[in-house]
Amino acid sequence: MKIKKLAIVLMLPILLTGCWDNVDLTEINIVTAMGIDKAEDGKVIVTVQVVEPAALQSTSSGQGGGGSTQPKPVFVESYKGETISDALISMKSIVDKRLFLSTIQVLILGERFCKDGINEALDFLHRDYQSEYLTDVLVAKDVTPEQILKIQSDMEAIPAMYIKGTIENTAIRAKVKRTMLINLFKDIKNKCRQVTIGQITKVNEKTVKTEGTAVFRDGKLVGWLDQYQTRGYLFATDKVKSTIVNIPVTNGKMSIEVLNSSGKLDVEFKNGEPAKLSIQVNLEGNIVEYIGKETLDSPGDIYKLEKILSQEVKKEIVMALNKAQKDYSSDIFGFGTVVHKYHPHYWEKVMDEWNDVFSKLPAEIKVDAKIRRAGLIKSPMMKDE
Amino acid sequence: MFRKIKRRLRVGSQQDNIDTIYTGIDEPLPRNIERVKERLNEIFSECSDYIQREIVCGEDGSVRILVSYIEGFVDKKILNQDVVRPILDYFSSAERQDKAKRVYQLIKECIISNNEVREVESLQQAVYKIVSGDAVLFVDGSKSALVVGVKAPQGRQVEEPDTEVSIRGPREGFVENLATNMVLIRKRIKTPNLKFEMMQLGIQTKTDVCICYIKGIANEEIVKEVRKRVKKIRGDAILDTGYIEQYITDNRLTLFPVVGNSEKCDKLVAKLLEGRVAILCDGTPYVITVPHLFIESIQTSDDYYDHAFFASFMRVLRFLALLISNLLPAMYVALVSFHHTVIPFKLIITLAASRQGIPFSPFVEAILMITAFELLREAGVRMPRPIGQALSIVGAIVLGEASVNAGIASNLMVIIVAITAICSFVVPPLIRATMLLRFAFLIAANFLGFLGISLVAVTVIIHLCRLRSFGIPYMAPLSPLTATDLKDSFIMVPIWAMITRPKILFQEDTRGTVGIKRQEVDKISED
Repeated sequence: MKIKKLAIVLMLPILLTGCWDNVDLTEINIVTAMGIDKAEDGKVIVTVQVVEPAALQSTSSGQGGGGSTQPKPVFVESYKGETISDALISMKSIVDKRLFLSTIQVLILGERFCKDGINEALDFLHRDYQSEYLTDVLVAKDVTPEQILKIQSDMEAIPAMYIKGTIENTAIRAKVKRTMLINLFKDIKNKCRQVTIGQITKVNEKTVKTEGTAVFRDGKLVGWLDQYQTRGYLFATDKVKSTIVNIPVTNGKMSIEVLNSSGKLDVEFKNGEPAKLSIQVNLEGNIVEYIGKETLDSPGDIYKLEKILSQEVKKEIVMALNKAQKDYSSDIFGFGTVVHKYHPHYWEKVMDEWNDVFSKLPAEIKVDAKIRRAGLIKSPMMKDE
Repeated sequence: MFRKIKRRLRVGSQQDNIDTIYTGIDEPLPRNIERVKERLNEIFSECSDYIQREIVCGEDGSVRILVSYIEGFVDKKILNQDVVRPILDYFSSAERQDKAKRVYQLIKECIISNNEVREVESLQQAVYKIVSGDAVLFVDGSKSALVVGVKAPQGRQVEEPDTEVSIRGPREGFVENLATNMVLIRKRIKTPNLKFEMMQLGIQTKTDVCICYIKGIANEEIVKEVRKRVKKIRGDAILDTGYIEQYITDNRLTLFPVVGNSEKCDKLVAKLLEGRVAILCDGTPYVITVPHLFIESIQTSDDYYDHAFFASFMRVLRFLALLISNLLPAMYVALVSFHHTVIPFKLIITLAASRQGIPFSPFVEAILMITAFELLREAGVRMPRPIGQALSIVGAIVLGEASVNAGIASNLMVIIVAITAICSFVVPPLIRATMLLRFAFLIAANFLGFLGISLVAVTVIIHLCRLRSFGIPYMAPLSPLTATDLKDSFIMVPIWAMITRPKILFQEDTRGTVGIKRQEVDKISED
């Protein structure tokens, strides 16, 4: 009995701890997107996009109807600080509630911020327990993150959700490299592969475009890949799930939907030194559209098309590889991983200069394309009689 | 402390007016009928329902018989037909000069045409028989009296119980009359091994209480234990099996029911056949069964009449409902007050929007709404039927629409309280335990979030695992794990695959809880 009473008394202090982090949902600002950029004076500018749930609710249920007086579902605020956390905390002097970061859907990095190097600068996001690792990261090209975050689309009430939607679309079609915060944290520390992040640009006041890829070298932004180079890069790194490849055929055009693709990287060694890079891509596709007059009846016809398709894909890969080797000298493909895995001793030596070694290596690219089906019809509808 | 109060109360009640109270001290039956009459009138003074009739017949009025009974309790028609008329006929038609002894024998063996005739030797027993509804015949000059069972059928008809409704299966429910209930059981188990051990409990009420079990199936140890505990009961009144339940329970301070009760005959019979012991009590349709285990709360008799697939699904669902009704409000409070990080993005916006403009914290809001609901429920139970509609309308408006429109509660809170309420009704035996635990979880959630909820949950689980019902671990067959008994737990196997009886009821009690508890009870009764 005495022990029981003692136990109860000893348990009581738990109640004394109170509820210090008991914060009601109405006392937080739900941040949907965050932008990080650098000012000319070297300070960090943090921009947040905060959602107003009540306004959102009234717009979605259509009760508003007031027209001009309708509250906006989100507001965007920026603040300058020495570090990200400094800016965020100082921002409390202009926003009314505590900023809640776990709901961040997209993180947009400014060009200047990236050029100065992101490796160390993103420490806060890694350290803070509120960070959501599945946040999509993008680099804004030619605009500041603030401008991007202020874009109010008609398609979605929350701009961040609109941006996220476009990334999902383009990532599936292999036009943008989708990088989440977790991938970024992994690659930042990884010398075998350089960081690449999707690119976002402003089209007009209501629209953004997520296409292309930002290429980094040692954590610093060095250049861009356009959408075709991005696709070549994604083909080589086995990231393509489905995409449409247009191929030129005699007297017409054809679109082929790639349904299956696998890419494999290899580095050939000779005398203990890397001699050649090799990329092997196998893909399968269906014909989805054909504007032309040739017949598609025989296996020979299809075989011819497969050849062209392989060439087309190979062209994109070559473009991407050239950019990476010649222009940026950055091993975004991850050939370093292969070297690290199969030639660890060599890797130890070359680790720090790998990008330079990589950019001087010749490459052999093999693409093996297969066309499986041609849809409901074989030859085109209009045929020469 | 309770013990002291109890003792004081008991002493107090016995002290007033000790002279006029019939104390029930054993006294022999006087041979003289006048003395008997005098004594009975004394005992039954101011009892307007007490009837006594004196029959004087024979040649010179030598045969004097006193018939005593309580009005309305006996069937007058049968009494006249079986007892009074035969006596009058016999002694008026034939001219007989019989000794008192002989008259008594004659009446007992030849004249009374009723099968249920017994003898009592003492006045105390005779009085007891009168007040329990028998007619008692006192014959002048005889040292014993005759008890004739002419009890009129009492109470309501056998009907379907309101509290336990089944979709499929027998609809007969127990009634207030003990004899009828015993027939209802006997009717379903046609074996002399079905035993009914009768005893009278309650100093004033002398209620018939009956321990029922099947010899050969029930664990003898448990039967012995039940007998022992029931016999220890001291109290003025036993009005319901609920009284007995409180006296015989293993742990008197637990929230969880360690004694089961039922109003359905088929359910009780099934429990007897599993080896449980039932206690019936005159005057109530509720029959209690021991040992009662946690798993029985989520079993229903319908489970066994339907396909095992559906039964298993329903049991999992019921367990889920039990968890929801305990935890849902607490989870909600923990989520919106502490753990915003685990809420999906779209949900957090919905949640925040519904919380917008609510002046109370989620905790206060939850307490308010749940209390309002409990009040509504209690009012619904206590209130006379005809006013019921008014209440449900007011309740629906206040708890639903109005509180949201007025900005006192959020939409989501209303939904949560509603779901909690629905779920709590799915497992009726645990409604009361759940009601209190819900508040405990809520308070813990408000202080420590999920950590608090887990603390309370762990405490409850430890308590459940320590709990015994007549020495049988309450959480059996889950803890301790009894593999063969899992056939009838969350997943139920079909009836044809249930080959063995529950083993757990025959398990050796390793921890000796029964022994310890008995010692305590013994001490109480010695006090």
